[in-house]
Amino acid sequence: MLEVKGLIAGYAGSEVLHGIDLTVKDGEGVIVLGPNGHGKSTLLRAITGLLPPRAGSVFMDGKEITRWRADVIAAAGVIHIPQGDLLFPEMTVLENLLMGAYNGPTWGERNERLGRVYELFPWLKDRARQLARTLSGGERRMLALGRGLMSKAKILLIDEPSLGLAPLATEQIYASIRRVKEAGLAILLADENANHVAGLADRVYLLETGMLVREGPAQKLLQDKALLESYLG
Amino acid sequence: MTQVVQAVWGGILFGSVYGLMALGLTLVWGAVRLLNLAHGAIFVVGAYVAYWVTSSLHLSILVALPIGVLAAAAFAYAMHVAFIRPVLGKPGFDNATLIATVGISISVSAAALLVFNPEYKVVPPVLSGYFILSGVQITNQGLLVIATSLALFALVYLYLTYTRHGMAIRAVSQQQEAASLMSIPVERTYGTVIAISGGLAGVAGVLLSPFFFLSPNSGFNPMIQALIVTIFGGLGSIRGALVAGFVLGIFESVVEVFYGVAWAQPGVFLLIILMLIVRPNGLFGIGEVRRL
Amino acid sequence: MSSDAAVAATRAGPRLDEAAAPWRRVSVYTVGGVVLAGLLAPLVLTRLTIGAYLLTLLILFFMQAVVAQSWNLIMGYGGIYSFAQVALFAVGGWTSGVLVHSLGWNPFLAILFSPIVAVLAALGIGLPTLRLRGVYVVLLTLAFHELARVFAVTGPRFISGGGYGLVSVGTFQFGDAVGDQRTIYLYYVAALIFAIATFVIWRVIHSPLGVAVTALRDSETYAVSRGINQFGIRLVLFAISAFFTGLAGGYMTHYNGGISTTVFDFPRIIDLLAMIVIGGWGTFGGPILGAGIVIGLDQYLVAIGDYRALFLGLILAVIAVFAPQGLWPLIRGVYYKYLAPESAPPPLEAPPTAPHEGGLS
Repeated sequence: MLEVKGLIAGYAGSEVLHGIDLTVKDGEGVIVLGPNGHGKSTLLRAITGLLPPRAGSVFMDGKEITRWRADVIAAAGVIHIPQGDLLFPEMTVLENLLMGAYNGPTWGERNERLGRVYELFPWLKDRARQLARTLSGGERRMLALGRGLMSKAKILLIDEPSLGLAPLATEQIYASIRRVKEAGLAILLADENANHVAGLADRVYLLETGMLVREGPAQKLLQDKALLESYLG
Repeated sequence: MTQVVQAVWGGILFGSVYGLMALGLTLVWGAVRLLNLAHGAIFVVGAYVAYWVTSSLHLSILVALPIGVLAAAAFAYAMHVAFIRPVLGKPGFDNATLIATVGISISVSAAALLVFNPEYKVVPPVLSGYFILSGVQITNQGLLVIATSLALFALVYLYLTYTRHGMAIRAVSQQQEAASLMSIPVERTYGTVIAISGGLAGVAGVLLSPFFFLSPNSGFNPMIQALIVTIFGGLGSIRGALVAGFVLGIFESVVEVFYGVAWAQPGVFLLIILMLIVRPNGLFGIGEVRRL
Repeated sequence: MSSDAAVAATRAGPRLDEAAAPWRRVSVYTVGGVVLAGLLAPLVLTRLTIGAYLLTLLILFFMQAVVAQSWNLIMGYGGIYSFAQVALFAVGGWTSGVLVHSLGWNPFLAILFSPIVAVLAALGIGLPTLRLRGVYVVLLTLAFHELARVFAVTGPRFISGGGYGLVSVGTFQFGDAVGDQRTIYLYYVAALIFAIATFVIWRVIHSPLGVAVTALRDSETYAVSRGINQFGIRLVLFAISAFFTGLAGGYMTHYNGGISTTVFDFPRIIDLLAMIVIGGWGTFGGPILGAGIVIGLDQYLVAIGDYRALFLGLILAVIAVFAPQGLWPLIRGVYYKYLAPESAPPPLEAPPTAPHEGGLS
């Protein structure tokens, strides 16, 4: 479904990704593990159009989306749940969710979609009229995820879902992502540690200083504690 | 009693006008973070086009009004495409747009001068006639201006709060990256906001010109007032533009009626300085991140 | 800018126009040559029939260049979007004008007070304004401009002269000199003012103050966190800028024999802005070059009357958006490449900038 070939990207004066090849198949849960600063966020941003790649290509369902604008990529079903949530702070929970369904076709079905998101995160309904900036860390994370689910996503790219969360919230967020994956959505998840990803990972890549150094089935790689420790510390 | 009525009437009238001009400015600031110093020029474009429609095409002001508004909106959009879009997101944006909008302002003035010559022009009012209230002349056009201003505020508010595109504008102004991740076309949104703002300036231009004769520099003063009101009310706040418009309008009117015209401007100036010292964000601005 | 990037930026060298050891960067021959040319110009020009006219153009150029440089100092370098420049010029002009016209002082004495009063006015505007962010400065200085204008037009007679400004104010007297001879004296006074202003501004830009200003402009939070007093620096720059602008105002009043309220007209602001933008925003030589260009071209543009304003506005907008660096960097590049390669500053590596986040900074 999602194919990345030879992706090179960086910021002015420095190159962060030195040629990334990865794939995510329909319904697959793929994890990219790597320590901080090694390019996880850059990778996701380069795929979803927030950062124009310098070289390489990205394909979605066979169509090349490499230098497309972020909003067009999102409309193609590649949905990015960004690090730090990037909620709309002065808008309510409900409004944030509705914006997730901005795209034409989804807007028409927004109430249905809203229903489904509320099912996944019932407490969001209670907080519907609350401003996003007044939410707690865990609540924000779930709102960000819920917002992403309001769209006609074919694949979810999630950037460090547990960042800054307390243990309980962390468990909840991974549980929700697991549920979403089980419903059939493909997931590309970038994370700093392997603690909670076992339940939703099919394949794992290890990212080190901008290059993918290992790839393998989740069961194998995630069991290898020694390997993980040496890479992730 | 006459004086009181005069002050109140003048205040509400000025207030509506300032508010209308400020609405456009604050919208653009909140959404695009652009200080549009060509706002006065767009005001003038709307007014002159309406004038041309009535005097050269001999059509009714009722036809001229929408044409003038559309012309203003189109002009604003053209300015966006030519001078704002190219520098969006670049580090020199503030500088470039500040100077560019000033330059456009001057060019529009000069163009108006060339095309229409410096004589004051008369733009016919949409409503004529007046009635007397306690010795004060209350013009129907004035009532129209007040009503239009309030209606537009309401419309803009409803648009931004309840429609898909309006909400998208707010989203873009608050978190631009996230907005694009929601498939919201950010650049097009900016263009829309600027066009709407231009249209609002155009409305102000067409409805206001009957009160003062129209000349190429007519837009400068309303824009300064709009700037003051916008800052007083809080950059990016619509509520602020509305309230500040009336507060300043009434304040200025009262000062003018009871202390003379010469004190009106300095009075407002002092008031804004006070506000900036006491509460730099204005009435409803919140921190530096206040969005729509 | 992330703090890492900013640290790297300061390590790469402060981003000055001319590198950090100013004396070595400008060839002595260049400066000497320019000064010599300046001193000899009148003697040469008076031999020509249009010589006297050219001298008056040069005088105009000197004064405009002073004001343009002063404005560029606060706006291009300091990032202070003040529109009060013309008003401060007027304050200087009126100060010395009133001293001569109403109190009968000698212009040479009166002119010494122009910069002082202008600085006081600048401090008056600056104290409430300079703590605030850019857009507020625009507004307040515009408002000050308006206030000053209204006061000049409707104020007491000795200032407003009935709404037209001060007329028939005493001019500079150089003994019995008249005609061309007098023009030459006027030229030297103007040249002296220009030279002093240019030198001071150049020194300021290349002093620790100038480095601090550039640091503030390029990476505000980092600079402040390193202990740079933003408000104090802005105030100092503002005062220096006002000083020379006021001085220029005083000079022009006694050169023209009066000062009119048309000095507040918006086109004046635009002209100055054009000089800075066309010449090179935030560069040392830019405003000087720009002043020369605008005044030079004006001689031809006067013929097309109102089209001038139309084109000027468009040129401003186009340059600001598409060529914001102005002409000076181009010329300087040529100079360093062909004329004085040994004094070219070492190429600075572009400091890494942080990833751009959102468009609303």
